Amino acid sequence: MGFQVPLWRAIAVYRIASLCYAVALVELDSQDYSRWLLAWALLGVMAAWTAATSYAYREPQRRTALLLVSDLVITAGLLLSTAAVQYPGSMRAGATPVTATWVAGPVLAWAVQWGRRAGIVSALVLAGCDFALRSDRISIALNGAVLLVLAGMLVGYLARLAADVESAQQRATEVEAAGRERERLARDIHDSVLQVLALVQRRGIDAGGEAAELGRLAGEQEAALRALIGAKPESYLAGQEGEVDVRALLTREASATVTVSTPAEPVLLTAPAATETALAVRAALDNVRQHCPDGTRAWVLVEDEGDEVAVMIRDDGPGMTGGRLAEAAAAGRLGVSHAIDGRMRDLGGAAQITSGDGEGTLVVLRVPRRGRLL
Amino acid sequence: MWREAVARDLGSAGFEVVASVGDGEQAVRVAGAVRPDVVVLDLQMPGISGVDTIHGLLTAYPGARVLVLSASGEQQDVLEAIKAGAVGYLLKSAGRDEFLDAVRRTAAGEAVFTAGLAALVLGEYRRIAAGPSAGGAPELTVRETEILRMVATGQSYRQIAERLVLSHRTVQNHVQNTLNKLHLHNRVELVRYAIDHGLDTGRG
Repeated sequence: MGFQVPLWRAIAVYRIASLCYAVALVELDSQDYSRWLLAWALLGVMAAWTAATSYAYREPQRRTALLLVSDLVITAGLLLSTAAVQYPGSMRAGATPVTATWVAGPVLAWAVQWGRRAGIVSALVLAGCDFALRSDRISIALNGAVLLVLAGMLVGYLARLAADVESAQQRATEVEAAGRERERLARDIHDSVLQVLALVQRRGIDAGGEAAELGRLAGEQEAALRALIGAKPESYLAGQEGEVDVRALLTREASATVTVSTPAEPVLLTAPAATETALAVRAALDNVRQHCPDGTRAWVLVEDEGDEVAVMIRDDGPGMTGGRLAEAAAAGRLGVSHAIDGRMRDLGGAAQITSGDGEGTLVVLRVPRRGRLL
Repeated sequence: MWREAVARDLGSAGFEVVASVGDGEQAVRVAGAVRPDVVVLDLQMPGISGVDTIHGLLTAYPGARVLVLSASGEQQDVLEAIKAGAVGYLLKSAGRDEFLDAVRRTAAGEAVFTAGLAALVLGEYRRIAAGPSAGGAPELTVRETEILRMVATGQSYRQIAERLVLSHRTVQNHVQNTLNKLHLHNRVELVRYAIDHGLDTGRG
């Protein structure tokens, strides 16, 4: 129980600080004390008990009912012993008991160990002792009593809350570990399936006839499954809030004719930047599909250049001669200029399209990282 | 079954298959004895990992050139294999002709890259550059970066040679060099790790 240690340490610190306060009070209010030396002896007992409890409460196995009840009894005893050392007149006039704020020690301990109700019960016990001490001036003791009860309630409530959060966290970690194990097993299965499909494709080609058609279909499914596996959904969560691994979006574009190549590490962009980039890439690939002959292949390369992300899309189609690109934009067919160039400019980046006759087309997109928004 | 198919293909293409084993430990054991020029390594093997197998192979017979195959594409495990000393990578679903060509090229000293592998290598250099580089992190020259980018966008070594007005051999050398630097860096890192963790056997 990780949170327990700091709580118990805080209670020990509270006791020590209150002890110092009690010592200071006895010194300052010495005129209220009829048996001054005895008062100091009581402070000595308080100090010894503080040391004992600071040590005892540190280990969970020592926090027994015996310890907690003794804590309450001893503290109550020390509180009541004020009657033996202070002038009755001073007590009635509202002098602080020799235990001062130190008396809250067991209330806090009971609250952390046994919860809110236990905190309140121990508070009431001590409040009762306080009333007994100054029986005809209830109003003075009331303040202290109320504070004690509130402290018991609050601390008890908070301790339970922290315990719940911790066990929820524990469950979440277990779920995550189980998830990772499943993923590992799934990877093995995927690899086996892909291998079998590849084998079927090979055998089909060899056998010819109908088997060749089956092999071809197996090959198609192999490519599709491999592309699907490549787009790891969990990498969406790789970044901080609002950041997305743009690789996951771009590997979706992979197909039999489109190869997507990325680094091994996540490439993070803000969610809107990532979406816009992915749309620009899709637009570039759509251009290939529309303007190039069937079977033209395209390659998408993603690079993380630190202050910006660079995406290159190259196809091995017939290419465009220089003027055609400008022509198309000017003629109002804004497909290219808005979908790609416009998007990049909106993100604070740039798009560069080069093409040559017979040399295919190369689209280079640069997306700046955070800091350079619209 | 996969292994038999591959061995058969290699045999009928004129290659001499000196050994065909089913797990990494066995491979390391026979490597010293059979001294293979090319090792075709399936990353999806039972037993010790691909990386450990490669370390073992290269220790047993440093002259081996390792071509790794995987089913699910260019992911972290392929990059680790390359860093550990492999010189080429191919998808299992690449056709027979492409496979045989890859083996031929590997034997001839060429680094067989896919577009995906080039992107992984580029990313790895970037990762090293961005990380803690106590003493000489390897860097890519401008030329090497350009060539790797061209490989990553689907161009063959021949196309690259034409476009950059270089010889085919020069392009190959550049690519092989990017791997050599990674291999060296990896070896240095391993030694440093061993020393840091007191695994240096010299200190007992």
